[in-house]
Amino acid sequence: MRPILLSGHERSLTQIRFNRDGDLIFSVSKDKIVCAWWSANGERLGTYNGHQGAVWTVDVSPNTVLLATGSADNTVRLWNIKTGDCVKVWDFPTAVKRVAFSPDGSQLLAVTEKRMGFLGTIAVLDINYGENLEDQAAEPSLKITCEDSKATVAGWSFLAKYIIAAHEDGSVSQYDPKTGDQLLNVQVHEFDHQINDIQFSPDRTSFITASKDKSAKLLSARDLNILKTYPADTPLNSASITPKKDYVILGGGQAAMDVTTTSARQGKFEARFYHKVFEDEIGRVRGHFGPLNTIDVHPSGTAYASGGEDGYVRVHHFDKSYFDFMYEVEREQMRK
Amino acid sequence: MSRSGNRADWADDEEFDDPSALPAQQVITNKDGTKTVISYRFNDDNKKVKVTRRIKTTIVRENVNPQVAERRSWPKFGNEKGHPAGPSFDTTSVGENIVFRPSTNWKAQAKEAEKEGGEKGSMKDQLKDKKVKCRICSGEHFTARCPFKDTMAPVEEPTAGGAADTGEADAGGLGAGKSSYVPPHMRNGGSGGGDKMGGRFEKDDLATLRVTNVSELAEEQELRDLFERFGRVTRVFLARDRETQRAKGFAFISYADRSDAESACAKLDGFGYRHLILRVEFAKRAT
Repeated sequence: MRPILLSGHERSLTQIRFNRDGDLIFSVSKDKIVCAWWSANGERLGTYNGHQGAVWTVDVSPNTVLLATGSADNTVRLWNIKTGDCVKVWDFPTAVKRVAFSPDGSQLLAVTEKRMGFLGTIAVLDINYGENLEDQAAEPSLKITCEDSKATVAGWSFLAKYIIAAHEDGSVSQYDPKTGDQLLNVQVHEFDHQINDIQFSPDRTSFITASKDKSAKLLSARDLNILKTYPADTPLNSASITPKKDYVILGGGQAAMDVTTTSARQGKFEARFYHKVFEDEIGRVRGHFGPLNTIDVHPSGTAYASGGEDGYVRVHHFDKSYFDFMYEVEREQMRK
Repeated sequence: MSRSGNRADWADDEEFDDPSALPAQQVITNKDGTKTVISYRFNDDNKKVKVTRRIKTTIVRENVNPQVAERRSWPKFGNEKGHPAGPSFDTTSVGENIVFRPSTNWKAQAKEAEKEGGEKGSMKDQLKDKKVKCRICSGEHFTARCPFKDTMAPVEEPTAGGAADTGEADAGGLGAGKSSYVPPHMRNGGSGGGDKMGGRFEKDDLATLRVTNVSELAEEQELRDLFERFGRVTRVFLARDRETQRAKGFAFISYADRSDAESACAKLDGFGYRHLILRVEFAKRAT
């Protein structure tokens, strides 16, 4: 496979998202610009300009009408995807590290940083898709405050039944999105090893965490049971579950501050593929010359994109050998 | 004549073609459905360049969601506003090909590849200890740099017949014996140099196999799989027809190591592949 290199950013990538149809890719980086790309040929559709600080996070509404971004300038911005106009700005007291649309797109959650005397929070905003997109609620409909350990990333479970948040201390918790009560809190990763990413399976019944403790774990959304563990030899920044084939992709590498002192080979700047069920590592894809900060998989499982500290987005369309690979037991199952 | 001399007369324009004008673009439709487009442009040195392009149009039909189709017509915005359709070179490029084949024992394979690399490294180390030795005067420099290059024959090289001593004397000092000048390449009976360039074989040819009687339906990857059993293959070239993209029936396989190539040649010559019997031999050097 020949990767498509997207070099629209001048600084390290922070998050990449495919839209639900998989024809668009949205990438954000520390250089304040949000880019939209066609996934098929890597053509840039446009940029969303307006943020005043590093953009930490991006998410697309399921109908590809609105784009939400969270930034270090303490705002969440809502953009009209088609025109590139900013339709709404919400101000927060601290930087926003993660935004995520609910499965039906009617709600948006925003994880805010713990800083300057403010505790980390998860705010839930109601989203309207009327004629006038600028007509949005002014205040969050719910605010969950994380007293013990700040939330680093969060997302919505199946049917928006729970909000799942991962914390700086390596724990994962489950909240009720109506009342804001914490239902469960499980220490899944080593204590004090931050969880850098959670991504859900297509049906949102399970999700994968990527942690600084050099492992990724597959958890069930309902009871936060650890289903699978994928050990790696480097701190992980991102993990994604692939549809169509039962793989997971992990990305990481040496911490950004140590990169200049290590060679590309030692840095382990590779995307690692594991079999989701058997937990075996089945291959790696090289290419980045900095740690991988973010990975996202095409919703139909035919491609994936990775963004690195090196400022490049690499879009890989899988070729036949990727789809052909099967374990002997899987093959036997097929024959029956 | 008060008019400035360097400006051409308006009347001349009619008679002489303006040399800066470019001929019009020509489009020729070929029999096989392709189009040949001949256009002219100026390059960076302001020279006229003729560009001939053969274009084959393939229509790929794809069914997409109507929403996706509608999005396709969206105009560009933001920093891309007003840019023409199609990927722009400053933001989008294509990386080098990555071979990604999932397998359960990929670690062992990777280790093997690394070991191969390591062996190469050790070979380099072996060579590092070798001293440079001049073939003419046995000094510590390359033969080509020898100060006696033009005056002496290489030590080991047996000079023809008994005329060795006299030949050396003749060709030697300026003006000694015969007074006429002998150019360096004519000294020692003309065997002094020249044919050494590049060695007898190009390095690549040493381990390249020519495979003939290959099926028309063969794929490069299949050949690679077949030949990789015997050692590391550095290059697979399968000749294809330009129009039909079908294999022409022969291929070249280069190995990193000649011994691998030899074993492959021995094993695969006469091997039944697809419906044909392969003929494998060492590639002859192109003259």
